[in-house]
Amino acid sequence: MAYEALDFFDVDALLSEEELMVRDMVRDWVDEKVIPNIEQHYLDGTFPREWIQDLGEMGILGMVIPEEYGCAGMSYTAYGVVCRELERGDSGLRSFASVQGSLSMHPIHKFGTEEQKQKYLPRMATGELIGCFGLTEPDYGSNPGGMITKAEDKGEHYLLNGAKMWITNGTICDLAIVWAKLDGEIRGFIVEMGDEGFTAPEQKGKHSLRASVTSELVFQDCKIPKDRLLPEAKGLSGPFSCLNRARFGIAWGSIGSAQACFDAAKKYSLERIQFNRPIAAFQLIQMKLATMLREITKGQLLAYHLGLKVDQDDWIPEFVSLAKMNNVDIALDIARVARDIHGANGVTSEYPIMRHMNNLESVKTYEGTHDIHNLILARHITGIQSFTRNLK
Amino acid sequence: MADIAVLLKQVPDSNAKIVVSGGRLDEGSVNKWSMSPYDEYALEAALALGGSITAITCGPERAKKMLTDAAAVGVTELMHIVVDDLTTLDSNQVSSILTAAVQKTGATVVFCGKQAADTNAGSIGPSVAEKLGAACVTMVSELSGDSSGFLALRPSANGMERVAVSAPCVLAFDKMSTELRRPNVKGIMMAKKKTIEAMSVSDLGVDIGSSSVTLDNQSPPAEKPAGQKFEGAESVASVVSKLRDEAKVI
Repeated sequence: MAYEALDFFDVDALLSEEELMVRDMVRDWVDEKVIPNIEQHYLDGTFPREWIQDLGEMGILGMVIPEEYGCAGMSYTAYGVVCRELERGDSGLRSFASVQGSLSMHPIHKFGTEEQKQKYLPRMATGELIGCFGLTEPDYGSNPGGMITKAEDKGEHYLLNGAKMWITNGTICDLAIVWAKLDGEIRGFIVEMGDEGFTAPEQKGKHSLRASVTSELVFQDCKIPKDRLLPEAKGLSGPFSCLNRARFGIAWGSIGSAQACFDAAKKYSLERIQFNRPIAAFQLIQMKLATMLREITKGQLLAYHLGLKVDQDDWIPEFVSLAKMNNVDIALDIARVARDIHGANGVTSEYPIMRHMNNLESVKTYEGTHDIHNLILARHITGIQSFTRNLK
Repeated sequence: MADIAVLLKQVPDSNAKIVVSGGRLDEGSVNKWSMSPYDEYALEAALALGGSITAITCGPERAKKMLTDAAAVGVTELMHIVVDDLTTLDSNQVSSILTAAVQKTGATVVFCGKQAADTNAGSIGPSVAEKLGAACVTMVSELSGDSSGFLALRPSANGMERVAVSAPCVLAFDKMSTELRRPNVKGIMMAKKKTIEAMSVSDLGVDIGSSSVTLDNQSPPAEKPAGQKFEGAESVASVVSKLRDEAKVI
């Protein structure tokens, strides 16, 4: 049965004509290419190459970057809409687009030299080159400033040593944006697959984001040519600038997952007969559906307004933290409740529910955990940061 | 390559819910309007040949969106004959309007779908051809062509036949094996800048007379009866008889 995107307050009517056309383009593609195949890819733990080619052909990789670099120069709202439609298919698919656009192309565009932009961005926009983003380390997740990956200036080149973990697209990447300390300061480097001393083994055994490649990045005396340093990024503000853009995409994307779960739960509850009536006729189910609708509608308004603020360049990172945290939180709750409504069927690959639910556990954790975003907001309220303290 | 005019119709999307109220389709209940699927193949065939393409539609204001969709996949010229309620016109009147529009473009080659997904009348292609004095090939499922003409594959009484045709001609397309092209973000950005040439029937200077058809009533198709299950060899005779006499499929 065809997907019906819940939009109770008709929020999409606020989108421009071109944003609506982009929405329909991606929605149709997800219907045609992703939905019929995603369950098998999820079970097999694979991410198909042809999807990358399609994303490139549609022009949605790095779509907010200007046309002079082979991109579309579209609004952040349009990017948000794309993330929502992709994540309606699967969070792993949206993760691919987020990592390519926000975490790999954005830092090159914002912090790179003109030569670096010309060399990489047009080919990344088409999906010919795949990027990844190495910030998190095995022992440094919420505290990236403590990273131990180190770069040394060896005159002719930089020498990189260390390891990164939980890196989406790592094993399939052509280049990695790697954050490392150079003389104690966090700097960004472009590491190419094939650079001596760089390996990216895949992390297996995930119960979440299975249709997405997750990897370690290992640097053992990895030589990086001097022209691969991103000159304009110094300190944690570099990677945080990227993360804010990716979190923006998550704030929209998670609504797509929630819409998919709502759509499935509504249809299932109307079709499933128990005690001689559809389970949708029972008040407990009705309350669940009403709560889903309520939270999705609020999340849609939050995402839309965030898009407006970012497009007007009138925003602070805390806006993004609030939207990311809230929308993933409600999406995960909605997925869990949808699982309840589906009963035993909800755990099977016949329905998209458990897949979305499992994916959202990762989405809640990556790009700043739910708790960390609370602390970011609380720091904004109180002016007191609570991340570090001296323990006696 | 000769200039090609492609006739497109906006119809309720094949996944849209159709509500009939007061003996008429309730257009307000249609949540998605799309290009009629056979017209999509006509458009794809034109785009594959290249050259200058004018997309022409006759319909209400909402049909503009479909023309912009056509521009997003590469159509160069867009023409909209604004008719607020197509159901007040019969097929003959619509084909007169479209013929005048084609003549206005100067195109000598016309592509369209073999039938629209809403009315399924299938009359526009042959009717426009007749009015243009052009050759007509219908149910085209494969096409090749160059500046001298086209080779079109269509069904015949004995299977399939390949027909050579040259301008002026009208080709009405069936589903083809070609994959339809998808728009991309750049195409969408370009489409926004394209001007749609909008005009009324009187602007075209065509006299369409009055409709010879009165639409009496619209109703949803009858619900399918429940399926029947047969088991065991002894039921074969009964199944065969039902397939032959009731379902009329053998």
